[in-house]
Amino acid sequence: MPLRLERRPQPSTAMVYAAPLIAVGATVIVALVIFAAAGHAPLDALVMFVTGPVQDRYGVGEWLLKATPLILIAVGLTVGFRAGVWNVGAEGQLILGVIASGWLALKFGPGGSPLLLPAMIVAGGLAGAAWAAIPALLRTRFNANEILVSLMFNYVAQLWLSWLVFGMWRDPAGFNFPQSEPLAPAALYPIILEDTRLNIGLWIALAAVLAGWVLLSRSYIGFQLKVTGLSDAAARYAGFSTRRAVWLGMLAGGLTAGIAGVGEIAGPLGQIFPTASPGYGYAAIIVAFLGRLHPIGIVFSGLLLSLLYLSGDTAQMSLGLPSSITGLFQGMMLFFLLAADVLIFYRIRRRPAAAPAAAPVASATIAEAAP
Amino acid sequence: MQSTFTRRRFLGTAAAGSLAAATGFRPAFAQDEVLKVGVIHMGAISDTGWEYFQAEAWRKLKANYGDKVEVTVLENIAQIQDCERLFRQLATTGHKLIFGTTFSQYASLKKLAPSLGKAHFECCAGIEAGPNLGVFEAKHFEGTYLTGIAAGRMTKSNVLGWVGAFPVPQVVYSLNAFLLGARSVNPEATLKVVWANAWVDPGKEKDAVAALVAQGADVISGSPNTPVQGLAAEEKGVWSIGSTGDFSAYVKKAQLCSFELDWSAAHIEAAEGVINGTWAPTSRWRGLGPGGFVKMTTASPELPESVAAEMAAAEAAIIAGTLHPFAGPVKDQSGTVRFAAGATPGDDELKGMNWLVEGVQGTLPSAG
Amino acid sequence: MNGLLPILIATLVAGTPLVYAALGELVTERSGVLNLGVEGMMLVGAIAAFAVAYHTGSVPLAVLAGAAAGIGMALLFGLLAISFKANQVAAGLALAIFGGGLSSYLGKSYVGMALVIPQSQLSAAAADIPVLGALLGPLHPLVWLSWLVFAAIAWFLYRSRAGLVLRAVGESPSAAHAIGYPVIRIRYAATAFGGAMAGIAGAYVSVIYTALWTEGLVAGRGWIAVALVVFATWRPERCILGAYLFGGVTTAQLFAQGAGVAVPSELMSALPYLATVLVLVLISRDETLIRLNLPASLGKPFDAEG
Repeated sequence: MPLRLERRPQPSTAMVYAAPLIAVGATVIVALVIFAAAGHAPLDALVMFVTGPVQDRYGVGEWLLKATPLILIAVGLTVGFRAGVWNVGAEGQLILGVIASGWLALKFGPGGSPLLLPAMIVAGGLAGAAWAAIPALLRTRFNANEILVSLMFNYVAQLWLSWLVFGMWRDPAGFNFPQSEPLAPAALYPIILEDTRLNIGLWIALAAVLAGWVLLSRSYIGFQLKVTGLSDAAARYAGFSTRRAVWLGMLAGGLTAGIAGVGEIAGPLGQIFPTASPGYGYAAIIVAFLGRLHPIGIVFSGLLLSLLYLSGDTAQMSLGLPSSITGLFQGMMLFFLLAADVLIFYRIRRRPAAAPAAAPVASATIAEAAP
Repeated sequence: MQSTFTRRRFLGTAAAGSLAAATGFRPAFAQDEVLKVGVIHMGAISDTGWEYFQAEAWRKLKANYGDKVEVTVLENIAQIQDCERLFRQLATTGHKLIFGTTFSQYASLKKLAPSLGKAHFECCAGIEAGPNLGVFEAKHFEGTYLTGIAAGRMTKSNVLGWVGAFPVPQVVYSLNAFLLGARSVNPEATLKVVWANAWVDPGKEKDAVAALVAQGADVISGSPNTPVQGLAAEEKGVWSIGSTGDFSAYVKKAQLCSFELDWSAAHIEAAEGVINGTWAPTSRWRGLGPGGFVKMTTASPELPESVAAEMAAAEAAIIAGTLHPFAGPVKDQSGTVRFAAGATPGDDELKGMNWLVEGVQGTLPSAG
Repeated sequence: MNGLLPILIATLVAGTPLVYAALGELVTERSGVLNLGVEGMMLVGAIAAFAVAYHTGSVPLAVLAGAAAGIGMALLFGLLAISFKANQVAAGLALAIFGGGLSSYLGKSYVGMALVIPQSQLSAAAADIPVLGALLGPLHPLVWLSWLVFAAIAWFLYRSRAGLVLRAVGESPSAAHAIGYPVIRIRYAATAFGGAMAGIAGAYVSVIYTALWTEGLVAGRGWIAVALVVFATWRPERCILGAYLFGGVTTAQLFAQGAGVAVPSELMSALPYLATVLVLVLISRDETLIRLNLPASLGKPFDAEG
């Protein structure tokens, strides 16, 4: 083979930061091809695609509103991902946040207590964490794979919410349609940008980013998590059990996903519907990876992904493209990122290796090289 | 806004109306102006099912007005979170008449409509009219009562089957009327109901048909968006009845009869109102008959003429107002009389129906 | 009619896509590669098969197209996970998300369309076989084929030399490499096989099972297939059993609803997922059972250079 990969003696820090840019660049190139194939002037279409949704203050508000839950969930998931704990159940944990805070909002909303909102946030976060605790328990106690259990519980959570909203939570004045009564004003997040829907959820997400950054980059626990992600043996040597990493990782993800669920009903929805989550739990996985499993990086990747969501809708209006390109671009970007990540640990060489010595290597997660 | 329109024209997707809209808002609708209509579909527009009939309505609107109307269509807007932004975007880009296509969009429209007075809003399957927001919905039960007659006559086992996606009120009163129609000609008929609890899982719908057939059902109806229920019935050798959709192009042998939804009257009336400046928010709840939203389709040759005649007579009586599918006495599953003998329920009693009539085997989520 | 036969048939019909997808994933995992993107491969396989069936009317061609599309998706994954040594969990999730978007995009013009597939002549002929005919007749030959595939995989893994090599690669790629086996190539082959099987599973769903296309048609069955492999502890006979168990629970809850069992239908719909978790826990709690069968290098990239 003319080209081959050679392991770098040291992971390349430069490539850690360059990889997401390469991924975005490659996605843009594919996007240009798709635009051209659809009969548009590619560059103009790209400009339209990117700037179309954010031409005024309302648009910017919508953008940040969309980014808020993605950033929030991704920060929580990152705690687990760094330790090799794969929580793919954020979708269900978000729904549990909706169920717990929704129950409070419906029961105590009319009372109008100023304590209601904080209580909803706490309850939503705890409920999300409790839902995540099930796979954590089954993993640590019975060794059951957390990816599969957390995924199965997404379906269960969805059906539970459906049962509530089609049943006892129906709005008495709503002709038995599957929706709750509108939440009382006391149960809604205050708006922070006039004439938009942007609310204090953004501050909560940014607070989570800060907390995540302190936990992961500035605390001993963060170091231990990283070590666990590298190898179980190393973690035990450092006095940190996989068990603790699983618990910490799962609970952090569940907590933030649950709070994100509160943000949906107390924010853009203002009511409880059977379909409370638009797949943020899955999209946040991409956000976490694209953000290099780093809280600050997640802010940028969250903004990028949310813009992609809005663009998908406007592309229908202005470019006549189907909205499914959002999913297409999302998946593609993650693909390109993972492909580009190889350059963190390897460089491309022309000659074959002189002396092949076989050894399996630890999975090349970017956590290994993350700053 | 100006820049949006320039770029759009550059891209070749803008039409004649955008210049007028971009050069300043006008207080009333000018006669030479093109009416820009916006429609947001929750799912993908396809060849059958709910979204298809929504699309047929604006297609007929376009056909009716020609160049005078321009329609902007968004599909696959599945998330309620996005509705508010997109309806607003339509309203602020010169669309003067905006249609929501499902109940799920109603809450967003109710919130938005009062503040966006330059446009007028209509929501299909919305709960009730509000400021600057009209609603329209079909009396599905008039259709299912008639197809129920066919089912009652054609069943040999006296067991009918219904596959539902989710128990929304429209489906609940539809399946109730289906059994009432069947019992009007065959008092022995019962109806088994299975909920798929998924909007999109045709595989499960097919399994549900198999389960119903195995338990003796020999006429299957339901609330499908795809022909899969009919195809499954055909495979199993039982009859199929199309509810809110004519699937005879796919279900060649098994489909006995069906009814469709025709929203074109709602679209055309609303457009006329906006053009003439007479639009006002109304609630339209219509069934069979001229200008109605429920249309019976051509029945299969397999349906005996005597049954077809019976259905036609009932249809005429419903249109004339002499027959009401839910005319009392109607009992629920527990045997409690819901509508007393001689009474005819009002619209509000029907709209939010959350109980099943006597003879239905199945459950609804309890109100708790 | 025998009361249990319809339930049995419905179970086999519902379980078949899981049989294909899970057996394919099992072979992939036996080589040490964890591909979580089965859902994405199934969806792309489903739309490819549907499009071919729609335009040609040929079921065999459609199934081949589904398999080819599945292989294409699997190779994409292989490029990342095997050649570029990317994290397999992340690459699998990316494949699942990408496959969802791609299938919607490609399937845009087919949404809501249905196929009219005449009953297979083979099935019609089989219906005349005494005793077995009542069972075989209502089933598509693709269902019978899944049994042959199962037998072939079982034989391959435990009775053939190539299967031994595959398991060796999954167990200890460095040892296999030292003996001189092409670890990378074998892993690619196993991954491609998994893709082909997922593609066939998708084709079965879109062309045979539902005979129509809608977005997200596979509805989570790919994820169930991945779960089945774990709870089968990487053994094909438990895998096929698990697939039918899941199909059986799904079917049974629909039968129970039809029979008017007074349990909320949402709870019944949740049963298959809860059952999956329960079995997963029961199997996983016995660590020796897992250790015994778990390919030791599962999820770890192989680097000949060290």
